[in-house]
Amino acid sequence: MKDKPASTATRSHIITLLILLLPLIIIAAVTKLIGNVLFERVVITLFINLILVLGLQAFMGNSGILSFAHIGFMGIGAYASVLFSMAPQMKKLALPDLPLWLGHLQLPFLPSILIGAIIAALIAAVVSFPLMRLSDASAVITSFALLVVIHTILVHWKTVTNGPQTLFGVDRYTHLETSMCWAFIFIALAYWFKESSIGLQLRASRDEREAASTIGVNIILVRWQGFILSAFMAGLGGGLWAHFITSFSPKAFWLKETFVILSMLVIGGPNSVSGAVVGALLVTGAFEGLRGLENQINIAQILPVQLIGLTEIVLSLTMIVILIKRPLGIMGGREFR
Amino acid sequence: MISPADGHTPLTALVVQGITMDFVGLRALENVNLTLRQGEILGLIGPNGSGKTTMINVITGLLRPTAGRIQADGADITGKPPHKIAQTGVARTFQKVKLFRELTVFENVKVAAVSVGMPNRRAKEQAWVALEELGIEAWSGRIAGTLPYGHERKVEVARALAMNPKFILLDEPAAGMDEEESAALLQILTPIPEKKNLGMLIVDHDMNLIMRLCNRLHVLNYGKTIGEGTPEEVRRIPEVVEAYLGS
Repeated sequence: MKDKPASTATRSHIITLLILLLPLIIIAAVTKLIGNVLFERVVITLFINLILVLGLQAFMGNSGILSFAHIGFMGIGAYASVLFSMAPQMKKLALPDLPLWLGHLQLPFLPSILIGAIIAALIAAVVSFPLMRLSDASAVITSFALLVVIHTILVHWKTVTNGPQTLFGVDRYTHLETSMCWAFIFIALAYWFKESSIGLQLRASRDEREAASTIGVNIILVRWQGFILSAFMAGLGGGLWAHFITSFSPKAFWLKETFVILSMLVIGGPNSVSGAVVGALLVTGAFEGLRGLENQINIAQILPVQLIGLTEIVLSLTMIVILIKRPLGIMGGREFR
Repeated sequence: MISPADGHTPLTALVVQGITMDFVGLRALENVNLTLRQGEILGLIGPNGSGKTTMINVITGLLRPTAGRIQADGADITGKPPHKIAQTGVARTFQKVKLFRELTVFENVKVAAVSVGMPNRRAKEQAWVALEELGIEAWSGRIAGTLPYGHERKVEVARALAMNPKFILLDEPAAGMDEEESAALLQILTPIPEKKNLGMLIVDHDMNLIMRLCNRLHVLNYGKTIGEGTPEEVRRIPEVVEAYLGS
């Protein structure tokens, strides 16, 4: 009696993970078969977005607190990783004012993105602690303020970010296989965290704050731990993205990206890892489909005027409908099993 | 009338000394002394608004008392945050059930064992023991938010027991239950304090249940203690009869 439920639980966790990994493998295999560069770019973007959605899920899904700051930590991870991976000759051109030690330094790709993610996590650890006692609207607003602060610093810290201008000369390291492997790792990581004792306590505090505190949950502490993990995941997603896109500016880590990642999580359902995966797949699919449709309509000149913004409008309307009809998203907080 | 504040504070007891709780324009509790010993069942009774739930909220740290001291097992817990108090061995349930609605019944109970510091394997075992104690292990896989009302109460009691507490404070555990359900709950609760050597404090309006279940009673009215003792003793206190029993 006492062992059985535990072993069935383990088996159902493994099944859930396999169900989530399978579509990614299929998508990657199909992409390889087609061999179309543009399609491959879409798929890599999908995998990186999935990583970002999973990072957001780790905090938002388990704590129930909406965070706008996530994409800010993606930006920190992107810029920080590039500082370590870029070749010294390139740094002289792109970032001539870097301190000497940093200017001469070059690390391989993996340590670079890991350091970038750790820097994002450390900054999150320092700035977020006082915010973790806030809930509801005040938590949301302060997280938005944090995004603004990070964005402003990225725009003005010219020495390390090239300011508002595009930072160029980043080597491309993120390929289809790289992004797929990291997506796998992050699905497992997000799932493990949700089921871990910290994740469990965090989910309890999400459902009933008072009851959670009276059974011994240190709510501020578990929120903080979740936020740090989430920032680490966002930072790593940023590092992967930077080494895929190879030139970018702080504009990339602002409201548009925030909205895309948030809508993926909300549409899929923030309370489960399955929701994050479903949301990322569906929204990317819809996004690309709509963009294609928009182009076709414009090329064929079906309408007397140019059609602009169809994608964004449909996506926003979908989000509104989902929030009304299924506030917990498509997956409703459940996992596949 | 027994006075708990006789200078000897028993070590294995939850001791409330001179607690006063003021809200804006209202004194909810006034200089209340109360002792809950391990192994006993103490009934905290009184008319609506007499301060019973406020007392539980003060003990568990959801409210900070205006004056007074609370000790659990010799440790001062006055003004400590709720999670610290829980970790010293004080568990509670709520008048209005507060389950973690999106978690399974098993997770609801297990998280309590985890939060007071048990390692994962022990927490799981502890959760099963608590579920079996309440006879609800068959529901372990259900999402708590989908349970019928009477079942929710049992899950909440199991959750509190999973913390392996020294003291458990039950705020109207039989509220909203029919006679049969509350009798069944009574049967489950009665042996627990002795078996687990924990002190159980029960707030309830059902005098039938309280008189049968409790070793001692503590009666509040308008935030003040008006009587204390065994059920028989309390029944004979004129003030208590006037304020509560007589009505």
